[in-house]
Amino acid sequence: MDALTGENQIVYDARGLVEPDCEVPKVAKIDGEKATFDALDLTTRQINLELRWLINEEGVTDVTVHNPGAKHSLGVGLLTRCKITFEGSLGYFGLGIIDGPEVHIKGRVGWSACENMMSGTVVVEGNAGSLTGAAMRGGDLIVKGRLGARSGIDQKGGTILTMGSVGANTGFMMQRGRQVIVGDAGHGLGDSMYDGIIYVGGKVRSLGIDCVPGEWTDADTEFIDRKFRIYDLGTPPTFQKFVCGKKLHNYDNLEASERKLVL
Amino acid sequence: MSEDHHVATERHNPELTIGISAEYLAGKRFDYQEDIAASADVDLLESTPGQDINWLEDVMLLAEDGVPAVFDRYSNSFIKIYFDIPAGHEDEVARKVLMKHLQSGNSYGIQLKRDHCKFPQPELGPWVKNSATVGTNWVPSVLPGWESPEGH
Repeated sequence: MDALTGENQIVYDARGLVEPDCEVPKVAKIDGEKATFDALDLTTRQINLELRWLINEEGVTDVTVHNPGAKHSLGVGLLTRCKITFEGSLGYFGLGIIDGPEVHIKGRVGWSACENMMSGTVVVEGNAGSLTGAAMRGGDLIVKGRLGARSGIDQKGGTILTMGSVGANTGFMMQRGRQVIVGDAGHGLGDSMYDGIIYVGGKVRSLGIDCVPGEWTDADTEFIDRKFRIYDLGTPPTFQKFVCGKKLHNYDNLEASERKLVL
Repeated sequence: MSEDHHVATERHNPELTIGISAEYLAGKRFDYQEDIAASADVDLLESTPGQDINWLEDVMLLAEDGVPAVFDRYSNSFIKIYFDIPAGHEDEVARKVLMKHLQSGNSYGIQLKRDHCKFPQPELGPWVKNSATVGTNWVPSVLPGWESPEGH
């Protein structure tokens, strides 16, 4: 028999889940449509099971999670309208593939938060790591701190708004959606982007291939003012607008099947 | 609701089409594709998270096969729109038609949930309050008569 080392120690069920025999802890204190629980001694799977149990089976619409402890993959796959508050930081891959929740994180998030986010709102009080909002498809992701490199890589929709500065290659291969950067942008902004809009309030160290200045319109003003008002972000600064120059990729000439992938 | 000749032809000869339309998947056309009044009651703000229209901001009126259409990302298909769309309201109308399609459970992606979703979630999606929960008792599908190859 093979020694149980490395990945061999992990047992997956038919859905590809680890901890297949994990039970819902049912430790939350429920008060009507609100609930709160302490995640300090819970595993990632237990925390996510608790969230799903509360939201999908107990009719809870507002959950507060204490001591998330920067554990990875928290709050993923939540596909309903609800409010979730994390009283602390999340690790890698938090809130992936969510569709509907309104989430408030009173801390930081690690790499790849909100990957493939479909809809909803996420407000991060602190900083966010690299690849935040990767392949995001819709909704609003507000980061009040700074953002790592390659945020919004392959972004296909939605809005990523950061009040601080962003790292290199932000908006790499962006296909749709909007990024609003109040601070400075690192090298290679919007490199190889197909479409979408990037607004920058600070300095841009360098533009990526085929990322060019765009013409400001009334729709841009309305959009910026609305997002700053909704999220109580104060008075917006003056932004530069950047779009795809359409020299590298011609979005309109994509095959129909390719075009659907970015809709 | 009507089933036109074009749709029937596509269904019987799937190789004839490279596109996928909602009516092709459903085998019929829906009233909100033909009558603007059928989706007029949709409240876009109420149907979406947050204080604006959220993800619908990225939904716009497009065209498929030369017909105005809106894309349903939950079934990877276009919902063609056959009524006259008032000028200046193209995207709003497209969003209402899409939302009506989703809220009424007609999206093929939603129909697949009943048998195939692996995790608990609202059947009709986040745009309908108090929708039934599906996916609480998922079991792998079994193809009758199929056996795993030797050694697997």
